[in-house]
Amino acid sequence: MLRTVLTATALAALALAIFGPITNLLLWAFTETWYFPAKLPQSYGFSFWERVFRPQGNAMASLWNSLLIAALTVLVSLAVAVPAGLALGRGRLPWRMAFLFLFLLPQAFPSISVHMNIARIFYGLGLNGTFAGVVLVHAMQGMVFSVWIASAAFAAVDPALEEAAANLGARRWTVFRTVSLPLALPGLIASAIFVFLSSLDEFTGTFFVGVPDITTLPLLMYNAAMEGNYQIASITALILLVPSIAFMLVIERFLKADVLARIG
Amino acid sequence: MISRKASLLLIAPALALMAALFLYPLGFSLVSAFRQEDGGGWGAGNFLRAWQFYSADIVFSLVIVGLSTLLVAFLAAAIAGYLTLGENRWCLAVLRWLYRWPLFIPFVVAAQLMRTFLAKNGMMNNALVELGLLTPFTTHSYLDWRGIVITFVWKQTPFVALLLAGAMAALDRSTIEAARNLGASRLRLLWDVVLPQVRPSFGTGLILSFVTMMSVLSVPMMINAQTPTLLTVDMAWRINAYGDYGLANALGLIAYAMTGLVAWFYLRQGLKENR
Amino acid sequence: MALQIAKTLLPLALTLAGTGIAQAQDTLYVATGGSQNMVDYVTDYLGPMFEAQNPGWSVNVVGTGPGDAGSQAILEKLTAQKAKDSWDTDVIVTAQLKTAEMVKDGLLMKYRDDIDTGKLVTSDVAKNALGTDVDGYVMPMFISQTAIAYNPALVDHVPTSMSGIRDWAEAHKGAFGYNGIKNGMSGVAFTTAWIYAFGGDADVLMKGPYDKAQEAGWDKAFAALKTFDQSVTFTPGNAGTLDMLNRGEIAMGPVWVDMFYSWQQDGRLNPGLKITLPEPGMPGQPYYYAIPAKAAHAEAAKKFIALATSPEVQAEGIVKKFNWYPGIDASHLQGVLDQASWDKLFTDIPPETLAKNAKPFPLGGYFTDMLEQYETQVTN
Repeated sequence: MLRTVLTATALAALALAIFGPITNLLLWAFTETWYFPAKLPQSYGFSFWERVFRPQGNAMASLWNSLLIAALTVLVSLAVAVPAGLALGRGRLPWRMAFLFLFLLPQAFPSISVHMNIARIFYGLGLNGTFAGVVLVHAMQGMVFSVWIASAAFAAVDPALEEAAANLGARRWTVFRTVSLPLALPGLIASAIFVFLSSLDEFTGTFFVGVPDITTLPLLMYNAAMEGNYQIASITALILLVPSIAFMLVIERFLKADVLARIG
Repeated sequence: MISRKASLLLIAPALALMAALFLYPLGFSLVSAFRQEDGGGWGAGNFLRAWQFYSADIVFSLVIVGLSTLLVAFLAAAIAGYLTLGENRWCLAVLRWLYRWPLFIPFVVAAQLMRTFLAKNGMMNNALVELGLLTPFTTHSYLDWRGIVITFVWKQTPFVALLLAGAMAALDRSTIEAARNLGASRLRLLWDVVLPQVRPSFGTGLILSFVTMMSVLSVPMMINAQTPTLLTVDMAWRINAYGDYGLANALGLIAYAMTGLVAWFYLRQGLKENR
Repeated sequence: MALQIAKTLLPLALTLAGTGIAQAQDTLYVATGGSQNMVDYVTDYLGPMFEAQNPGWSVNVVGTGPGDAGSQAILEKLTAQKAKDSWDTDVIVTAQLKTAEMVKDGLLMKYRDDIDTGKLVTSDVAKNALGTDVDGYVMPMFISQTAIAYNPALVDHVPTSMSGIRDWAEAHKGAFGYNGIKNGMSGVAFTTAWIYAFGGDADVLMKGPYDKAQEAGWDKAFAALKTFDQSVTFTPGNAGTLDMLNRGEIAMGPVWVDMFYSWQQDGRLNPGLKITLPEPGMPGQPYYYAIPAKAAHAEAAKKFIALATSPEVQAEGIVKKFNWYPGIDASHLQGVLDQASWDKLFTDIPPETLAKNAKPFPLGGYFTDMLEQYETQVTN
């Protein structure tokens, strides 16, 4: 009995710790006025929503920027990661471990100092403050994850199935298209979603490479927060929260434990 | 199977991207850190200045990120452990649904959440005052090092817990059952039987978290950009206000050294155990 | 009927012809440092006005952020394009220290004599930026001033001097807040005021000559500031200080006067809060309009700045809407600006106090040393 009470208390504390800050954000997003010493907002409303979504405001532009950049990032990073994953998971690749290790390296170094130097290099190439520049930076980060997930997904495909198809006379491309790809697809979709989300949420790289010409939602949110516009920051944060939480709720459908276990 | 040549061709674009956007900038940072500011030439001048300007922040970063990693390890082990060994079906379902919420919430959003939540007159203190646990005059702001630690732990625990729970689910249940039949308590089971078997996943998750936290810029900027603060803020400041890449890169190298140290420590422990 | 159709179509035809002459759309690129209110000023007020007066032109504005970092971003943007023939930014709005650097680096165009409003400003800030001769390269957009804001409900005896503030803050732990030097200029201004008050001869720092020996007294002042920092709350920026004042988390702190009044005007700030300008003074600064040396649309840029520094815009936009002190000489605003709007600028700080206690920032050399020593001696 005591044990159940303790467990329930611990769970309740965890729920408070997780949902407290989120509730706070929701409150701020619909607040009109909230002065000290009021404990809760004095009035609620949608006037800040109108301000965020007014056509001349930069929130809509940032939202489109963010979505466009994220979509392009997925394309670029999957375009290089799927072949690489295939080679790592299925190929007779020399130095396979060395390559896998290499793709782990960016995770082993704090990315900020890489980002600030990319910014400096991009200045020279005229890529700073351009869509291409931001997409490249995001794609680099996304690629690292998608290479690992893709190689795990391809490695999890049973070779016997591919051989069976090959024995039936299917050509290599056909085998890939009809057997390997469909079987690895859930993992690849998961990695696509993952790359999309991480690009949508990316801050540091955009901060160095995109600013001030390219503003994405996280940067808009940061600026609003630093300017003390809590409502605008909270509304922007809420927009960013929706895809994050949706993905969190469905992740296990795509990323089976066996694929997860192969990461790391 | 794909031939050697085809495999190399397939992996080439990824390697090219990697070389251009990771290895080259990395090399750039090394060169720039050792380049003397005035008059050119090589030397450790940037590191001397880094220490002179930011020694407090260097120590602070290591302590804050280290402490956060430890707390993440503790909480993640508790959550994943309960998910694996817990018996109450109802509690399991709630926990499984609950713990992952912050998983994909970006750091910048987490920082904003905490900034309003942990402030002196933020929601947490207000709630405590309403409950009669505090008076308005005894509240204080958590927006200092504690705010950073809380945000990091809040955001990173689900990630490590997810990895860990995944690894634990893949374990062979028979050893666990055997130990359970011998009457081992759940805490002992977790510590003696389960955790040693998932060491690689656990270590990887923690090191990834450590590295991630070392390079987060938004959280310290929004929660505590003042004295002392994390190295990322100093790097951004050096570059944005002065264009001083030398000193910023020296700080970057110091951050590399810290993660290197942690990774080495972990690998060495692992080797010892395997011997 | 035919006439009716012709009447309807005529404006359309004219519009089409008009756009044809103006070579479709041209865009004027404006880069502005400073807080969000400066971006809003161009987006919501000045830009639309320029577009209305110059059909075929649209104004694109990017904000590069507060403090020296914001102006440094513009400096780097221009430096990066140095070798090119045509640069992508037409008008820049920057703070003094970095503008001076840009003039020294030859990144700016001498334009003030080319525009009509150039002679409306005679003050020293238009000629000299922290010791660097910038005559002809800049037009002040506005002058802004820092001051100490406080909550009268929480502060009984308002300190009137820097030493009074020091003693008050040390007696009321955590009730004084400022934003250090990394996050906006109001914290830098407070640090400057501290050095002016406790670091030796302030006049030499403002007027020169530059001599390291003058910094002898700084060590003691910075040591005292380090002790002082133990009893203050750090805020996350210019806006952060105002926000914490508003939420009752601090009772006193340095702010920009214009932001303070604007927030009150917007209803974002508790109307009971007040500001004061303590002895021996706190610094203020102009923001400058300047044109990059190889701006692609230099002529339009001159038109834009002439509009921005005309008495009407200075009265309506700068003073009335955004609560800055005007960039051009105040005498030119007479007759254009109503007395009530002018008086509003002096609600809490009367003109005499302003004349006595409003100081410039120190000379470039001292300024840089001061920021550096703050990091090595106070925060580390």
